[in-house]
Amino acid sequence: MCGIVGYAGHHDALPLLAEGLSNLEYRGYDSAGVALCADALTVYKTVGEVDALHATLPDASGATVGIGHTRWSTHGKPTDENAHPHTDCTGAVAVVHNGIIDNYDALKEELEAAGHTFASQTDTEVVPHLVEDELADGKSPKEAFEAVIERLEGSFALAMVVDDGEEIYLARQDSPLCIGHGDGETFVGSDVTAFLQHAREVTYLENGDIAVVTPDGVTVENDGVIVERPVEQIEWEADAAEKGGYEHYMLKEIHEQPQALRQALSGRVDEMQGTIDLGLDLPEEYLRSLEEIQIVACGTSYHAGLYAAKLLEDHADVRVTVHVASEYEFTGGRDPWRTLVVAVTQSGETAETLSALNDAARTGARTLAVTNTVGSSVTRAADDALYIRAGPEIGVAATKTFVSQVATLALFAVHVGRTRDELSTSEATELLRDVRGLPGAVQRALDADEQVREVAEEYADFSAFFFIGRYLGHPVALEGALKLKEISYDHAEGFPAGELKHGPLALVTDETPILAVLTEGARPDQTLNSVKEAESRGAPVIGCHSDDHGEKFIDAAFEVPALGEMEPLVANVYMQLFAYHVANSKGRGIDKPRNLAKSVTVE
Amino acid sequence: MKAVILAAGEGTRLQPLTESRPKPMLPVGNRPLLEHVVEAVIEAGIDDIVLVVGYRRERIQSYFGDGDAWGVDIEYAVQEKQLGTGHAVLQAEGHVHGPFIALNGDRIVGADDIASVVSSLKETGETTLAVARAERPSEYGVVSLEGDTVVDIVEKPPRHATPSDIVNAGIYGFAPDIFDALRETDTDGELAVTDTLERLAEEKAVDAVMLSGRWMDVSYLWDLLRVNDHVGKAAMADSARVSEAATVVGDVAVGADARVRPGARVLTGTALGDNVHVSANAVVSNSIVLPDATIGPGAVVRDAVIGENATVAANSTVEGGDADVVVGGRVHESVRLGAVVGDNARIGGAATLAPGTVVGNRVDVETGAHVEGRIESDALVRRA
Repeated sequence: MCGIVGYAGHHDALPLLAEGLSNLEYRGYDSAGVALCADALTVYKTVGEVDALHATLPDASGATVGIGHTRWSTHGKPTDENAHPHTDCTGAVAVVHNGIIDNYDALKEELEAAGHTFASQTDTEVVPHLVEDELADGKSPKEAFEAVIERLEGSFALAMVVDDGEEIYLARQDSPLCIGHGDGETFVGSDVTAFLQHAREVTYLENGDIAVVTPDGVTVENDGVIVERPVEQIEWEADAAEKGGYEHYMLKEIHEQPQALRQALSGRVDEMQGTIDLGLDLPEEYLRSLEEIQIVACGTSYHAGLYAAKLLEDHADVRVTVHVASEYEFTGGRDPWRTLVVAVTQSGETAETLSALNDAARTGARTLAVTNTVGSSVTRAADDALYIRAGPEIGVAATKTFVSQVATLALFAVHVGRTRDELSTSEATELLRDVRGLPGAVQRALDADEQVREVAEEYADFSAFFFIGRYLGHPVALEGALKLKEISYDHAEGFPAGELKHGPLALVTDETPILAVLTEGARPDQTLNSVKEAESRGAPVIGCHSDDHGEKFIDAAFEVPALGEMEPLVANVYMQLFAYHVANSKGRGIDKPRNLAKSVTVE
Repeated sequence: MKAVILAAGEGTRLQPLTESRPKPMLPVGNRPLLEHVVEAVIEAGIDDIVLVVGYRRERIQSYFGDGDAWGVDIEYAVQEKQLGTGHAVLQAEGHVHGPFIALNGDRIVGADDIASVVSSLKETGETTLAVARAERPSEYGVVSLEGDTVVDIVEKPPRHATPSDIVNAGIYGFAPDIFDALRETDTDGELAVTDTLERLAEEKAVDAVMLSGRWMDVSYLWDLLRVNDHVGKAAMADSARVSEAATVVGDVAVGADARVRPGARVLTGTALGDNVHVSANAVVSNSIVLPDATIGPGAVVRDAVIGENATVAANSTVEGGDADVVVGGRVHESVRLGAVVGDNARIGGAATLAPGTVVGNRVDVETGAHVEGRIESDALVRRA
């Protein structure tokens, strides 16, 4: 959720930390700060985006070691006091923290009783005060840090520096931390993007690791034993994430979808044989014996899971349940050996999804990660990983990763269906032809951007928006509403079209446009009944339709080319553009919507 | 030194292909015209590029991004309204700080030629114009020289009145003072770079650099096939799959994830874009097939440009060859153009397209229909 950076080397730490924070800004941004170790510890921190911090920083410092943080509030409001780093009473220890310390109440009470004064409302601040006490007992900074970590419960990534120290102390528990190896300098980040322009050789810490970082490298201990963590080479470019002429990353990423889809499909499809090569280790016998696939995910990934579930049930004849990760439990009536749990997460770091996956793995179920991020936590936690290959996504509102998730999972559905002999070669060929048609069809939707903008601007100031669709159109309706509310802050809800008359219809007026998915794969004729219900209450109707479905009842129509069960996915692209243009016309901070963060690494 | 590449133009003479993409993004040899220009600029030793974009700029921005894939830095300057090449250069003002070169994004030029403009500019620091000898000078800006100094430029003079056979080759070397010169030029709405150069030539303030004079540009649809044939393109993407029972002969480019099925023949002069599907027993010759298009079983496609995501269904025939083609009211006699099929169009099974046919975007041609002439976009063509 928040971002951590650190530097130990021979250059001035201040500009490097500030740059790292800017790189991480998309992860969380209601306050930011840095702590620098020179002769004494200096802390700069302020509420607001990273730019606000930059304004308070000097141009240079004498420090060559330091840590920094960009924060998204979980405990305590965004204020200068609550911004990280946090220090102890003496100002000799500074700590930054991602995640949550569950037992901080008890620790804080104990510390206050012992005479410590707290400057903030954060859970984090207990850490420097605890370290202060341990140091007072004569322990070394490393011993003190270890002793304190021992007492913490919860999920965290912690980084600590002490005055006149040359080291950074790190601890990882369920919250990601990685280390970049430079030439005579070492970088720390909660994400490799923090330091990618300076270091491409990266070590990822694992749960329970405590690490000491110096300019020469890192020493990692787990359970008191020194361990070697592998060094991985990062291939992609940090500035592949620059905006490339677009006003917003989101618009750039929307327009990258044809290319993202081509990458997702490249080399994986043989439509002549109707076969798929995903490079997975799932044995054929296992896939044949499967009784259930459980998909766990959050947000947009959850909607991709809903889409995929219907494809899997239809084409692979296997029961599929889709679970919001935070609600997931491996409950009764299931044989773990015949249950495959599929975790869908763009970042591969979503805390709730990881925790659900770990729960499932403990029962003995086999696990598969579907993610965009090579080397992320979920790929290490799952038995197998399937990459969606969408390339870096910076906009908080997921766009290209949604279509890439669905396309990749559609291939997975064909693979499972073929393996289970539920799908004939010609059925598979037909479905794969539609999947392969996605890049071209999505490009066609993008070419209508100007038309979508005009419609979006016409309806931008209406009071609420309802998205409806059936079958594969249902997840698309949910996703369409999510995009709009995320970036335009308008009230938007998605429903299965049939549910409209069971309640939400009471909200429908001439001030509430209906966005309907009227394509193949979304039961357009039945959905049209709901459109008529809304239309007769005066609601304007915006339809994403193929084959002129509902022409007469639609006030604004977006054309979806014939593409079978992939048509609703193309409709989704129109809804992305709609959301973008509504938000843009209202001047919203599209890439960094209020209160939201790109990858949610707290539960 | 930076290069400013002008890529904001629409290219109306190339409709229907320029409805959804700007002219510089039309592909030859499976790469946009603009990419050929960008690569020549890079080969000439320049790694800071400013693209002036406007019409359908998303296509350019999504393709080139920030230049990482080419190992260079690419920035974008936006020309909201296409008010001429001079106006386009002005849009780049905030992106350049020293001498720079400027060139067109839709004309393929040699890296050597760019390099000679760069070295001349470095030497003199003065406004520099690349010139070359042309066979038909009256189609270009004709330049009069005194030694190495430009004394006059006349845009497209009548054939009988061309003052020389030396023409403007479209590569310019500028110092930052060009921006003031551009601003001080009187215009009647549009401002061309040559308007300003004409004025500077009167003051004898423009140096000429004589080039070898090989360039390729695309004015009309059939030029695409000609240029496509001339650029070296033989290449097969790793992810493309060509059946062992298919034939791919000669100078053919096959894009990523393209498929060529058993019995299909893809003959020389052809570029198959990414994700293109050539079905069993189809014949494709001397053609450009844009990404995501499908050529159906047994179809014959010769001397044609097939648009993005278009379908030419089973046994349809584009017989190919020469034809008279009308563009903007003017007849162009016997040009080699089998047909152009617009983006997302569908040519039904066993349909026939007479030579010179131009089918618009999203047109639906019914099974068995015969088509000739120009079909407007979104039309439905029924079988007579």
